[in-house]
Amino acid sequence: MNEIATLARPYAVAVFKRAKETNSSKQWSKNLSFLAAVLSDNTIFGMLDDPKVGKTRLLTLLQDICADQLDQEGSNFLKLLIENNRLNLIPAIMELFETYKAEDEGFIDIDVTTAYAFTKESKQHFNEMLERNFGKKVNMKVVVDSSLIGGVLVRAGDQVIDGSVRGQLQQLAQRL
Amino acid sequence: MQLNPSEISDLIKKKIENFDLSTQVHTEGTVVSVTDGIVRIHGLSQAMQGEMLEFPDHTFGMALNLERDSVGAVILGSYQHISEGDTVRCTGKILEVPVGEALLGRVVDALGNPIDGKGPIDCIETSPIEKIAPGVIARQSVDQPVQLGLKSIDSMIPVGRGQRELIIGDRQTGKTAIAVDAIINQKGTGIKCIYVAIGQKRSSVANVVRKLEEHDALAHTIIVVASASESAALQFIAPYTGCTMGEYFRDQGEDALIIYDDLTKQAWAYRQVSLLLRRPPGREAYPGDVFYLHSRLLERASRINAKEVEKLTAGKVTGKTGSLTALPIIETQGGDVSAFVPTNVISITDGQIFLESNLFNSGIRPAVNAGLSVSRVGGAAQTKIIKKLGGGTRLDLAQYRELAAFAQFASDLDESTRKQIERGQRVTELMKQKQYSPMSVAQMGISLFAANEGFLDNIEVNKVLDFEAALLSYFKSEHAELMDSINATGDFSNDIGASIRSGIETFVKTHSW
Repeated sequence: MNEIATLARPYAVAVFKRAKETNSSKQWSKNLSFLAAVLSDNTIFGMLDDPKVGKTRLLTLLQDICADQLDQEGSNFLKLLIENNRLNLIPAIMELFETYKAEDEGFIDIDVTTAYAFTKESKQHFNEMLERNFGKKVNMKVVVDSSLIGGVLVRAGDQVIDGSVRGQLQQLAQRL
Repeated sequence: MQLNPSEISDLIKKKIENFDLSTQVHTEGTVVSVTDGIVRIHGLSQAMQGEMLEFPDHTFGMALNLERDSVGAVILGSYQHISEGDTVRCTGKILEVPVGEALLGRVVDALGNPIDGKGPIDCIETSPIEKIAPGVIARQSVDQPVQLGLKSIDSMIPVGRGQRELIIGDRQTGKTAIAVDAIINQKGTGIKCIYVAIGQKRSSVANVVRKLEEHDALAHTIIVVASASESAALQFIAPYTGCTMGEYFRDQGEDALIIYDDLTKQAWAYRQVSLLLRRPPGREAYPGDVFYLHSRLLERASRINAKEVEKLTAGKVTGKTGSLTALPIIETQGGDVSAFVPTNVISITDGQIFLESNLFNSGIRPAVNAGLSVSRVGGAAQTKIIKKLGGGTRLDLAQYRELAAFAQFASDLDESTRKQIERGQRVTELMKQKQYSPMSVAQMGISLFAANEGFLDNIEVNKVLDFEAALLSYFKSEHAELMDSINATGDFSNDIGASIRSGIETFVKTHSW
């Protein structure tokens, strides 16, 4: 997994820099997610390593599929990936690209797990609190999970803030 | 230990009372792969080098490789229940082990947990296993002896408090025997001992424990065990654990002696961990930092001055220096001291005790090769009497070694050469000593005096040890005061010399052996 990220990093950085230069990060997001969607199809994915399918054939095939979805630069990028045999990196590149983009725009993705569903006001309030805490704009994704018993569990990347009753019970169990 | 039910519930009640309901903030990661005790973890971007990581079911690991997208960690203990996708937490702590007086007389594993079935250990303090050795300012030169109780070593290769003296030799040459004798001889001297067994059979560890118990030496000893059946990670950290426990005594202004038995196996364990972590292999497939592995460990054995002790104990202990003496053991293969790990450790330590299998097999036990063994700093720490009398022994043996080849032509040799050979044979014989029978300074002094002054020259070689035993028991019964005063001060003067001489002369005239 880490090897894939290492391979994908230079591509993602290049794409991100290009997108910033031309101010087209939205278009690039679209390009990458479309390519990822195409590759998630099993038939296409199977062709990547198929010796019977040559590079030129693969390129024409993918260009046909993506014709009206990719812009000029997007299709150049596709050519480059096919040339370097790195098409399988697309999902990793997309993930890294989105991380860079969010970082640049000052957004942070946060998963919130709660025991009881938020009301609209409490959600608003909680959002503000998180923004103050992290000093960034927050993209909040809320999941309701009654196994927490009570409270909330906030997850931002590696960081976990456990304010749930379940967590506290575990803490108590450990202490005893 | 007996616990009655009310005690337990009281304890629980107290714990519940003091339980603070704080929101936990921590960093989490996910296990990506588990291979032979090595785990790769995605996430954990905040992890520190050497940090303790918490796995499910109270298993702990240590972060060793911090890479761009992942963390490589070793699991301390069994790893069968850990699987891909498990969450791992940072604890924010470098690996720590319990330290303190309560550990004395106990057998613990590499994490400081008791394994001797004598109940929990009541330690208040813990201390990180990896620490930086004391600096230049904090140190004091070595000038007090550690008596190992072995004639051949104390007279020719003396060890001082705070010194690192390597014990090196092939398998079955009596390396551990020297270490165990050294521990037994520290009984009543106030020197605390730590015996770290790395990669050994459990049966041999049990043997050492039993022998120490028999000789009443377990009470001042901590035994740290990472046996051959335990994971390589535990074998790799065990010496650091022992060192931390020893440093506690050093920093309290006391003296401690630590024995690493043996560092070859630790290097093997570290090689295994490193290769599994995919660190590039170097000479003999050891990783690049195998020198640092041992140098940072042995550098922590030191003598620190009274000022530093005062600082470390916050003024509670004044006017006392602290020391940690290390006796690392290295096992060579076929007498090859030029292999990678032996040369490294030889260059790190302040001297070595070199044991040879052919000496061992010819009955010279301890099988010390006096020519190749040295002590670079111990001379300054020797007691006066041993220093004065031991010098002659070393010289006699050195001259004897040069001439030993001619011993079979004894009848054709000139008078002085023959005398040297005969003296050498008797001194070699005198240097033999039984296991588990360490000698006091006075006993050694009298034996050495007898050899130096030629009292042995008229005794048959195979009677030398009988003569010595009879002589010492005579001195014990007739000159107990003289012995006590030598043991107390370690001084040697013309008066003392004269009284020893007259004692031996009377003994020779009146006794048989």
